[in-house]
Amino acid sequence: MSHDAQETQATPSGVSRRNFIKGVVAGGVAVSSAAYLFRAGPLLSGQAARTGGVERLITLTVNGNQRRVDVAPQETLATTLRYKLGLTGTKIGCDRAECGACTVLVDDVPRYSCSVLTHSVRAKKIQTIEGLQAADGTLHPVQRGVVEEQGFQCAFCMSGFIMATVGYLKKNPNPTREQLAHGISGNLCRCQDYDKILTALHRGAELSRGVANG
Amino acid sequence: MADNKLVGRDYTTPDLIAKVTGKSKYAEDFRAEGMLFTKLLLSPIPHGRVKSVDSRAAEAMPGVKAILRASELPETADTVTDLGETIKANPKAERALTDEPVYAGEAILAVAAVDEETAAAAIEAIHVEFETLPFVVDPIKSLRPDGPNPRVEGNTWGRPPAQPGQPPGPLEIQQVKWTAEDFAEYDQGKMPMGKPQIEWSYGDVEAGFKNAALVLDETFSVANNQHHVLEPRTALAYWQNGKLYMHSGTQSAVQTVASIARWMRLDPKDVVLITEYTGGGFGSRATGSVQCMIPALLSKKTGVPVMMRITREEENYIGGIRPAVHGRVKAGFAKDGRLLAVDMYAIGENSAYEAQGDAASGGRFVSLLYQPEAMRSRAITVLTNTPPRRAQSQPGGLQAIMIFEPVIAKAARQLKIDQVAIRRLNAPEGKAKWGPADAKGQRGYATSAFIKEALDRGKDLFGWDERKARSGQRVGSKVRGVGVSVSTFVAGSTGFDGLFVIKPDGKMYIQSGVGNLGTESVFDVHRVAAEMMGMPWEKVQIAWGDTSQNLPWTCVSGGSQTTHAMTRAAHAAATDAIGKAQEIAAKKMGGSPTAYKLTGERISGPGGSMSLADVAKQAIAMGGRFDGHELPGNINKVTAISATALAGQGLMGVARDTYPRDGTSFSFVAGFAEVEVDVETGKYHLIDYAAVGDSGTIIHPKAYLGQLLGRGVLGMSHSLSLKTVYDQHYGLSLTQRFYQSRPPTILDVPRNMKGEAVNIPDPETPVGARGIGEPPVAAGACAILNAISDALGDDVYRRAPVTLDAILMALEHGKPMLDPLTANI
Amino acid sequence: MAILHDVIPPFQLFQPSSLDDALQLLDERRGEAWVLAGGMDSFDWLKDRTKRTSVVVDLSQVAELHGIRDANGGFEIGATTTLTEVADHEGLRAKFAGLTDAAGLVASPQIRNQGTLGGNISQDTRCWYYRRGWHCYRAGGNICYADTPTAINREHAILGADRCVAVSPSDTAPALIALDAQMVIKRRGGERVVEAADYFVGPGTDITRMNVLQPGEVLAAIRIPATWAGARFYFEKVRDREVWDFPLVNVASAIKMNGSTIAGARLAVGAVAARPLRLEAVERAITGKPLNEETAKMAGELAIEGAFPLQHNGYKVPLMRNLVRRAVRGGPPAGATT
Repeated sequence: MSHDAQETQATPSGVSRRNFIKGVVAGGVAVSSAAYLFRAGPLLSGQAARTGGVERLITLTVNGNQRRVDVAPQETLATTLRYKLGLTGTKIGCDRAECGACTVLVDDVPRYSCSVLTHSVRAKKIQTIEGLQAADGTLHPVQRGVVEEQGFQCAFCMSGFIMATVGYLKKNPNPTREQLAHGISGNLCRCQDYDKILTALHRGAELSRGVANG
Repeated sequence: MADNKLVGRDYTTPDLIAKVTGKSKYAEDFRAEGMLFTKLLLSPIPHGRVKSVDSRAAEAMPGVKAILRASELPETADTVTDLGETIKANPKAERALTDEPVYAGEAILAVAAVDEETAAAAIEAIHVEFETLPFVVDPIKSLRPDGPNPRVEGNTWGRPPAQPGQPPGPLEIQQVKWTAEDFAEYDQGKMPMGKPQIEWSYGDVEAGFKNAALVLDETFSVANNQHHVLEPRTALAYWQNGKLYMHSGTQSAVQTVASIARWMRLDPKDVVLITEYTGGGFGSRATGSVQCMIPALLSKKTGVPVMMRITREEENYIGGIRPAVHGRVKAGFAKDGRLLAVDMYAIGENSAYEAQGDAASGGRFVSLLYQPEAMRSRAITVLTNTPPRRAQSQPGGLQAIMIFEPVIAKAARQLKIDQVAIRRLNAPEGKAKWGPADAKGQRGYATSAFIKEALDRGKDLFGWDERKARSGQRVGSKVRGVGVSVSTFVAGSTGFDGLFVIKPDGKMYIQSGVGNLGTESVFDVHRVAAEMMGMPWEKVQIAWGDTSQNLPWTCVSGGSQTTHAMTRAAHAAATDAIGKAQEIAAKKMGGSPTAYKLTGERISGPGGSMSLADVAKQAIAMGGRFDGHELPGNINKVTAISATALAGQGLMGVARDTYPRDGTSFSFVAGFAEVEVDVETGKYHLIDYAAVGDSGTIIHPKAYLGQLLGRGVLGMSHSLSLKTVYDQHYGLSLTQRFYQSRPPTILDVPRNMKGEAVNIPDPETPVGARGIGEPPVAAGACAILNAISDALGDDVYRRAPVTLDAILMALEHGKPMLDPLTANI
Repeated sequence: MAILHDVIPPFQLFQPSSLDDALQLLDERRGEAWVLAGGMDSFDWLKDRTKRTSVVVDLSQVAELHGIRDANGGFEIGATTTLTEVADHEGLRAKFAGLTDAAGLVASPQIRNQGTLGGNISQDTRCWYYRRGWHCYRAGGNICYADTPTAINREHAILGADRCVAVSPSDTAPALIALDAQMVIKRRGGERVVEAADYFVGPGTDITRMNVLQPGEVLAAIRIPATWAGARFYFEKVRDREVWDFPLVNVASAIKMNGSTIAGARLAVGAVAARPLRLEAVERAITGKPLNEETAKMAGELAIEGAFPLQHNGYKVPLMRNLVRRAVRGGPPAGATT
């Protein structure tokens, strides 16, 4: 059994099975929401005993918070975010750096988190979809653009597209529709709602610049 | 409906904030205390039998909790339809695991362990010995006299000949081989046409050809296309008090419960499905996926929750494929372009499991869309050792229209008729006939058809005439071309239930049994009931995505049924509630019930006015049918159980859609595309696209456009790039990655597409709305095909997708060079 | 063939912060260490469990391998400089637009944000039989599955095949060859410098490798000499999808003019052979010729001499011919021809 990121968050381990089932039936949702105790299996624990290589217990900066977390050497950032830090807004669509659903910002740059070793971003600033909303609940302008224009259908790709847009706008805050399409071209939508997505994200770019009415 | 406050207007759906903030939970986002993880062992061979499994080493690994084999699966239960008919379960149907794999990648067994690393290591430690069997990955090869069979018993589904006075026997696998003579023209690229499984005709086809000014005979193949939903069909399952709780994405909430119950041999009341969000379906998970049994059974075995995270590779295998269809069309045209006769033959490819009807049904859509004066349609569906075929947006219609549209385009060029004009000339209108005659000699007909209006509107929207003027012009190595296509598909079913309660707090609580695929129909259809009740949207709450929340009997969200079926059900429920409110008002305040009208959340009439909140209180006081203690006799038992659970809480609207409908509901789309082809590379770019839909009244404009253009892009993918590839000798898939199967990216499609709706209500449904999920697909696919041949001439391609190698080789050699008939290359 | 293609098997991870430490590690763990830069090639192998390693040496923390430096009128580019950094570099673009164009056309924005120039050059082939783990010549077996009568080989080689018909998938490699770039290779206590065109290895030389790197060696930097600065560059990549696709054929050229005469030329083509091919015969043939359509046509014909297509890749022959024409011409033919 190894330890993981329990310092800065509520742990569900104290939740009794009875409560958990009740939660499901009553709320229709979540089993556990923020995070869960990730049990490293025998293979991982055995490996932790090896000498040399990186320290497993590291500190990550995610959405402005310092998070202590136990990370296996081969672990990808998407795995750490989703299964250890409970940030399930980052989706895994292909796990091969092709679809973009796992896109997060690493030092403001869009990256496929399924194909980033968590250990390689120890010293960097990580931002996920959960980190866009202001503390008072105000949506990020790009999120507002999506709400206004009803971009996206099933939305499994949505957080990746939004993060790719937020990252691209840091590089080019005033893109044309064509430029923005190139900026977000590393993300796949299988509902094929590209036209409406581009409209929504372009509206998000306008809102980011403080343009009120398009 | 200009005075509508809800119907026909955009709004923020109740799930959108959760989606943009990452709080929306899809199946794999749930975590259960103590849950185990599953990995699957997949068949490395395309056809064989498991001879032995040695899992001792795996079982001895610390952390390995259970192994599930095919022999442990319950036998699938028979289906009992709404009408009480029993459909026997097919013993050779697809199941969650198998000991007789019929495609490489099929799941053999599953391991549950404390984490995925351990489960993966356990899978690798299991030794499976197989007996290999003959296999085939090309349907036409299987039809050759000495062709291999994908199953021991044969290569098609059929029924034994019926004995006199007896119903036909159950489906069985049969062998069909054609003669060597049938293949005489194969090497010239002409599709062989041996004995079909299905044949129908109407009119005098031979006379039509005799009278024709132009007769064309064309072969064209449409590729297998995977659905590639972005969220793999992951499932989390656990048991509590004998009930199965399942978290999984599916297109349909209520009807998936029935599937799970059948697969698991459970009473539907013992299945709770949580499916608030689903990451795409496109037909591939209409009522869930049989593989969700795996975590359910492993959870039963281990006593703790089990998560089965499906990988992209596994999704490629079990996620579904639109069947390839090879087609040959003989079409006769009068000098003015009128279609006199069609003789169409389709060979459909299927997996070795249940047959999709794509090849068999396609001819019906052709008969509707182009109204040929006489037509014969023949088809056969052949099994191969490839993954399961599933319905995909516009199943059958897409392939048939892709086979037929280039023929129309070629005829227009040869007869020197405008491409829009020839389609308009042949277009259906009103109660247009379709398909073959029934036993009484009557042909079926559509409820309405406004495709001519769509063509007219699209011509202006797209700027057809101006673009046409520059088509075929070559600048440097670039040539432009324009294309138009029409398309159709069935667009709605009937007979489902609506259910809501207006409570004493004055709010309306609507129960939605629709799945949430992001098309927004899960909410949109209920705007009809809210509109009729005069209820402000802020006071409407919708229960959805959890089948323990008392949901009504609802259509499958597939085949563009939902908007049509469930607006009718919503209309029926609201009509029921209005009637009850009127009765309550009349009883309390006097006068005739019909003299009372709903306005401003009040019901007012000769005796005065009362709020809906007070009506709700009164309904509870009066009980009986007013608050759901007595229910209509014709509603589905699922609805009755849900309504009973909700009884006594307020004014209940509950009813079955029994509105009449004269005809079959179809929607139509006209699509327009302009391409620019680089003749030095063969690469073409889609410059612009516009589509106009005819699907009756529009309920939610932005969602409508998402479907009209989004499904259009799905169609474009079939022409642009998407395909599956199999090594023909080893029978193994070579397209396991997106860069290999090539779904289009945002840069492969135009950046500024246009879409509109003719927005003419369908006369045969009370709200006037039909579905739009299907017909945009072929419009997108074929507008491109036709634009390419407009730019380059007729003899460039004979199969889709039309990739640059096909174009470059055709330009180089002056004729199509790519083999049109071998599947999966 | 791996029975399961999911979950990276455990490995030991080292993240040295200096090149010396990295080279020492690689020397000590020679034969077992896997060098990781951007990881865009590595993760595929490891996640698919098709290739495995017990030790990974991650170069991402080695500062001296990263960055673009002016060097004698040219540049020295650290091997772990990302493709985005290469594509966006103003100085590089001003002098060597062929390279920045090529880097900007690789895969997708996120891949370019992480994938490195060194990795793009050194990546393994994308033959779909080999990548899938079929036990072919390149994987140590004794068959090429892509070169059988029923194989599907639309994206395979038309030139230079020797048992294996896989192709080089790199976009930046032809661009670098056309710039006479040099590869700076380091090992513990030593360094060697190899011409770009000689960095790549065909199956006839070594069927299991794509480049000359030996165990214990690291590609440290790419030097771009001043030789072709400001020349007329052309780079084109033809692919099926506009994003996240490998070249079906790509072409890079650098041409210096003397009046209307070609004074010097470099031409390289990718995805037609296991190595990116420098077309020296074409370079010689067009040097001293007027830059016109006739010269372009001659170049195209000469380029495809000896091309030998497989069952499904015949189109690559006219495609390569036409792209070489363009590389000489400087683009597609101009003006209305109809």
